[in-house]
Amino acid sequence: MARYKRGRTWLGGIGFLAVLASAALGLLGSGNPAADRVVRASEAALLRPNGSPQMTSMQALPPEQDELMCPWLPASAETTLMAALQAPLTASNVGADSSALKPVRTIRDPYAAYSSVAVDPTNNEVVLTDENLFQILVYDRLANTPPTAKMTEPKRIIGGLNTKIEFQCGLYIDPTSGDIYAVNNDTVDTLVIFSRQAKGDVPPSRELHTPHGTFGIGVDEQAQEMYLTIQHDAAVVVYHKMAQDQEGPIRRLQGDSTRLADPHGLALDTKNQLMFVTNHGGRHEVKPGGRKAVTYAEGGTDDKPNWPIGEEVPGSGRHFPPAITVYPLKATGDVAPLRVIEGPKTQMNWPTGLAVDVERGELYVANDMGDSILVFDVNASGDVAPKRVIRGPKTNLSNPTGVWLDQKNGEVWAANFGNHSATVYKMNASGDTPPLRMIRSGPMEEPALGIGNPHPIAFDTKREEILVPN
Amino acid sequence: MHAIAYDEIHDEFSVPVPLPQAILTFRGAANGEEAPIRILQGPKTQLVDPERLATDPVHSEIFVPQGNSVLVFARDANGDVAPIRILKGPDTELGASAVGVDTVHNLLIVAGGGQGGQRFRIFNRTDNGNVKPKAVIGGPKSELRSIGGPFAIYSPKGWIVATVRGGEGLASDLGFIGIWSVNDNGDVPPRWKVGGPKGVFQQPRGVTLDPKNKTIIASDKRLNAVLSFYFPEMF
Repeated sequence: MARYKRGRTWLGGIGFLAVLASAALGLLGSGNPAADRVVRASEAALLRPNGSPQMTSMQALPPEQDELMCPWLPASAETTLMAALQAPLTASNVGADSSALKPVRTIRDPYAAYSSVAVDPTNNEVVLTDENLFQILVYDRLANTPPTAKMTEPKRIIGGLNTKIEFQCGLYIDPTSGDIYAVNNDTVDTLVIFSRQAKGDVPPSRELHTPHGTFGIGVDEQAQEMYLTIQHDAAVVVYHKMAQDQEGPIRRLQGDSTRLADPHGLALDTKNQLMFVTNHGGRHEVKPGGRKAVTYAEGGTDDKPNWPIGEEVPGSGRHFPPAITVYPLKATGDVAPLRVIEGPKTQMNWPTGLAVDVERGELYVANDMGDSILVFDVNASGDVAPKRVIRGPKTNLSNPTGVWLDQKNGEVWAANFGNHSATVYKMNASGDTPPLRMIRSGPMEEPALGIGNPHPIAFDTKREEILVPN
Repeated sequence: MHAIAYDEIHDEFSVPVPLPQAILTFRGAANGEEAPIRILQGPKTQLVDPERLATDPVHSEIFVPQGNSVLVFARDANGDVAPIRILKGPDTELGASAVGVDTVHNLLIVAGGGQGGQRFRIFNRTDNGNVKPKAVIGGPKSELRSIGGPFAIYSPKGWIVATVRGGEGLASDLGFIGIWSVNDNGDVPPRWKVGGPKGVFQQPRGVTLDPKNKTIIASDKRLNAVLSFYFPEMF
């Protein structure tokens, strides 16, 4: 509209000049006596070239046919120039390239968030997985971050796209070779195995395509069998320990009788031939003989014996209390647990990592939402209180998701997802006990953001808060 | 958990929980270990592996995409309650992996696969049964190779805001936030692309909007981060 008005003004100026020209030609070119008088009078008076503008004529302009040439508008009728410059652009820049637009804010934790832990007592090293920056970090077992230090530098880091490490949630160290087994929970569906000395962005020395949603790992060294829990389809699958690539499980524990419900941690008691599993509690029924569970492993396939069933019974979902279920070590199929530890006395709240001390007959549970390590008698059943609980502000436990027993040195380790730390205690520790040592990946006072595989996101317009499930 | 929806009229948020086949609704100010105010769960719900959802605060409904169907529940449904509508059948062409509701233009937008790859299929909000989509956005020019996660609708202007993944690998620099119109149909390119390709994203996932501050907020799985883009153009 503004351009149109300016155009009308310019066209009006052209008309004004045309009137002047025609008047001058008429005056100068005609034989009219009155005109001659005007010319002579002009010559006698002012109209001589003098290098300056001169008034030559005055004549009324014809009226506009449609609208005013320059319509008068009050200042308030349109937006001000400043407002126009600040107003959001709309259709005029649709399709403009905004691909290089940088975020004005990024919420990201710059430090490792430890999710699982394992000790290599032979080489005096402790291995931690990091679900924030996608790494496996190897430290000296006796490392102890001073309170004033920002962090402890690891001896080795395995990480990068070639490693296929992302949300690694379970660890196992081969007691003979020192090989590191790291379980992926949600995004790669591939178990990766690295040699003890691996570091940097290196491919795994071995990998195994797994069902979607593996979490816990345990190995029966005598039988050379490896156990993995499957969260999504409530199962435990057992492989040959040295299985790789597309090799399938040799056994599967799955079905309504098992009471597996969002299984996480796993521990094996090969002496007493028992398998222990922690369960968060959410589950649904699967159709016997139904479609097999998915895998998103690159090149992965579900066309294998003993692969978990994935086809759900609609509307069969239920929430069960958190529990530890106990099975015969070689359980297969739809087998009921020998015992179940569950109930309010247990204090379990998202029981995640699990370890068993066969010699002392104790079960150690990383109790994620309880900020605690729970210790149960290995023969416990039903709604029983833990024998010991490590919990309290002095312990520095915060959302522990991994636990490991270092039998050789009599220590219990916790990987704390909630505060950038791994803490170690005497195996008989109880109550609000300070750790013997602590390895930190970030400053003591720096809060961990707790972001782990953010997928959906919502904005609470009332509180102006971003909701980030993980 | 693969979806969350905030209902600003009723000040509550809802999440789908796949393993126990439930939709949980919490009060907006919920904090800590707080119980949901409603649980939708049981055989009548027909829920199977609920991964995503959308809420329609204006008409008080919850939409749950589920394979080749979309289940619609009353917002205040609690317990073992049947859907009030089910969009399902060969004419719908679904594949439904995510949904959004345009409460101004009264439209239901369904993202997902099905016939012809990744698509936005646009229905009337109240469509029920075996109904053809009003419009379908998809094809090579649309660049909808893989919709990253739950998407957002800006109803006042009818924008569909979604992330597009760069590829199937662990990371890619080809991902971006794309913006289409509910009036689009066919193989049309996004009206805008934000933050990529060749931008900051590595594996973008969910997206939400802060209209007051004219901001698009997105998550990125590989960055393990939440990123906010000031983008007044679309508001």
